[in-house]
Amino acid sequence: MTTGLLHGASPVVGVTRRPRSPRWVPGLTAGGGVLSVLAGLFVVGFVLAGLAAGDVDWRILLSTSTWDAPNDAYGVTAMLWGTAVVSVIALCLAVPVGWAAATALHEQLPPRLARPLRSGVELLAAVPSIVYGLVGIAVVRPFVSTVGNVPGGDSLLAAGLVLAVMVLPTIVAVSVDALAAVPDSAREAAAALGLTRREVIRSAVLPLAGPGMRAAVLLGLARALGETIAVFLVIGRADGRLPDPASALSSLLSPGQTLTTKLGGPEPVLAGAVGSHRAALSAVALLLLLCVGGATLASSRRSGARPARRTPYAGRFRLAHDRTATALRTAAVVLPLLLLAGIAVLAITRGSAALSPSFWLEDAVGASGGGVRGQILGTTLLVIAAGIVTLPLGLGLGLLIGEYAGPRTRRVLHTATLTLGGVPTIVLGLAGYAFFSTALGWGKSWLAGALLLAVVATPVVALTTAARLDQLASVHREAALALGLTRSQLVRAVLLPHARPALLTGLLLGLARAAGETAPLLFTATVFAGATALPLGVVQAPVQSLPTHVFALAQDAADPAALAAAWGAGVVLVVLAGLLLLAAVPARRRMTATA
Amino acid sequence: MTATSAATVDADRLVVRTAQRVLVGPLTFHVCPGTTVGLRGPSGSGKSTVLRALVGLLPAGLTVEGGLCVLGRRPAEAGRLSDLRAQAGLVGQSPVVFPGSVLDNALFGLRHVVRAPRACLRERAVNALEEAGLWAEVADRLDSPAAQLSVGQRQRLCLARALALDPALLLLDEPTSALDAGSREVVEASVASLRGRRTVLLVSHDADQIARLCDAVVDLAQPAWDIAGSAATRS
Repeated sequence: MTTGLLHGASPVVGVTRRPRSPRWVPGLTAGGGVLSVLAGLFVVGFVLAGLAAGDVDWRILLSTSTWDAPNDAYGVTAMLWGTAVVSVIALCLAVPVGWAAATALHEQLPPRLARPLRSGVELLAAVPSIVYGLVGIAVVRPFVSTVGNVPGGDSLLAAGLVLAVMVLPTIVAVSVDALAAVPDSAREAAAALGLTRREVIRSAVLPLAGPGMRAAVLLGLARALGETIAVFLVIGRADGRLPDPASALSSLLSPGQTLTTKLGGPEPVLAGAVGSHRAALSAVALLLLLCVGGATLASSRRSGARPARRTPYAGRFRLAHDRTATALRTAAVVLPLLLLAGIAVLAITRGSAALSPSFWLEDAVGASGGGVRGQILGTTLLVIAAGIVTLPLGLGLGLLIGEYAGPRTRRVLHTATLTLGGVPTIVLGLAGYAFFSTALGWGKSWLAGALLLAVVATPVVALTTAARLDQLASVHREAALALGLTRSQLVRAVLLPHARPALLTGLLLGLARAAGETAPLLFTATVFAGATALPLGVVQAPVQSLPTHVFALAQDAADPAALAAAWGAGVVLVVLAGLLLLAAVPARRRMTATA
Repeated sequence: MTATSAATVDADRLVVRTAQRVLVGPLTFHVCPGTTVGLRGPSGSGKSTVLRALVGLLPAGLTVEGGLCVLGRRPAEAGRLSDLRAQAGLVGQSPVVFPGSVLDNALFGLRHVVRAPRACLRERAVNALEEAGLWAEVADRLDSPAAQLSVGQRQRLCLARALALDPALLLLDEPTSALDAGSREVVEASVASLRGRRTVLLVSHDADQIARLCDAVVDLAQPAWDIAGSAATRS
């Protein structure tokens, strides 16, 4: 033994001898927090400024169905009806399937099988909404047109069907998380009493997972309420269609309008909106924000677990019931996978243009000819620039939520971030148009687009990072602090290495989502043709991008050449987003390995 | 507040409480330099809470009342708690090793708290490993992952990590309760070897262990109500 000193004498560690604490840590955290709050204010400020631009008669707005801008008549009941109908259709179809699939994935299938199946379901979530729009045009519209004898097939039902597929992965993923949070001891205790698997699930697992699974429905609802692009392409966008109660059911087969599609365009109308027209549009945006925010808030307020409803004793049919339930749940897992496979087949057959290298390497020619080189470069530029902004912002906000904030601030920030992530991207696009393009005078600018995409991706990064920091056992934090580390040193030496895989995963997932976004770019950053591949400067420096390219082509659904080009560009977009997701796989694996 | 006492720890009617109720105390004791003092009490009596109060590591919502002076400073008023913590090493109940090698772990606190050349830090880390009685077992595997050590070795690594900072006070929170019988003996031997050379406050629910290792005992089960006075008015 060598250190034979006796203690209690002089202080051992003087302040001057300490290595300097990393100063950037508090700066980054504060910066991330402040800028994220600004992003939230930016959206709210846009809506409020719009409302102030003219008079809004809320009583008329909320009680009439006529929207006639030239005559200054603004009523939204038809849009509220449309929004409600498509959301209800989507949830009625997606919730039973989603819950059953989640139960099968977590409670029934062996993990070796469940893991790849779950990734398959998650892939459905990664398909950009513009591609769902194409699927709607290719499959759902003809289907509705034949079944319901609707010319063209544009209808509320078509929109509801497309949305059902889009919200399914959200419901499955969040429900599986809720089931995973149920301790195994609950299952074991129930199974030890001789219950069949179905009975174990019903009486021991579901009561505990219930709050989380109901939250999954609300998050799905938030997604359905906020979706613009895919709905835009199949709903027909007919104003003023509020059916009388007698024909409510048949109105499902006629075109309609939702809050989001009203805000989706056409662009010249929105750009030119002034006075009471602009105020009415802002009122629509406000209503939309309230709906989505309400659903998001409700989902984050976890109600307590309810006791199981009494399961009737099934006598000698117990085992038969058990087998039936098992079969039904398995079928529910197969359905989303069939959908995924169907979309893949559709994409490859319709988008065969993308199989040729020249499509990737040539510039677009005319209305629907040539390749998509310029669009690929533009999307890459937008994604990289968005990533550079998102990384520090998301990390700072994640640290703020996961480490620095006290319990109450933390709850508020967490909900606010969740809500920011749920802001319909069309509202983000309009706010960006008002702020960057008009107020700052940037016109169409790639930087505006990249900043808006960063707002889309930042909540994803922040929430994954904060969730990962939550997993770090408090003893680790305490052990480091007990050795005399400052908060910043703790962050640098313990929290950051721990959060790194989550940060990377969140960044790639967020960017994959941002890459497929259409709505924020439409008014702010992109043109269909005529932009240089890589812009110089910021003001009046638009780019071309894949999602908006597809969107523009898809609106010309009558022209087969345009649709073929749209599918080709859609496949390129899916491949690029898929590459980002694929890059996230190793990091995710490391995260689950050390969790 | 300036140092008013030669004692390393001086608790005078120390109370730890939530907004609603008193968790520990009032408690009066002191720890003199060079002694090993045991803090004894049944589970749930707040022994660990007292240790955390000494270095300002209480969970949110708990507050300290009464007089408390650690290394001549009041934790509540210590300019930088991190400096106080660097001088009062706390070792927890179950070993916590950070990702990295054995040496990385032994250097973990040093690297952040002491500015000195790397060779010098390494020497202090090695000395600490010797003092914790771990050197012989890890000398040839300093660069292998610390997570591969046995639980008893990991606990001594945590002890070494605290000793490397040359702390004027060592706070041991049930250092053996999470270990199996074999590891417990080894760790206890390491703690015993510190007696008389370090100032130690040892928390344990094991009366025999405290009798074996300590010069004096503070018993939370028989609180010093009579010394501290009006317990009733506090609760």
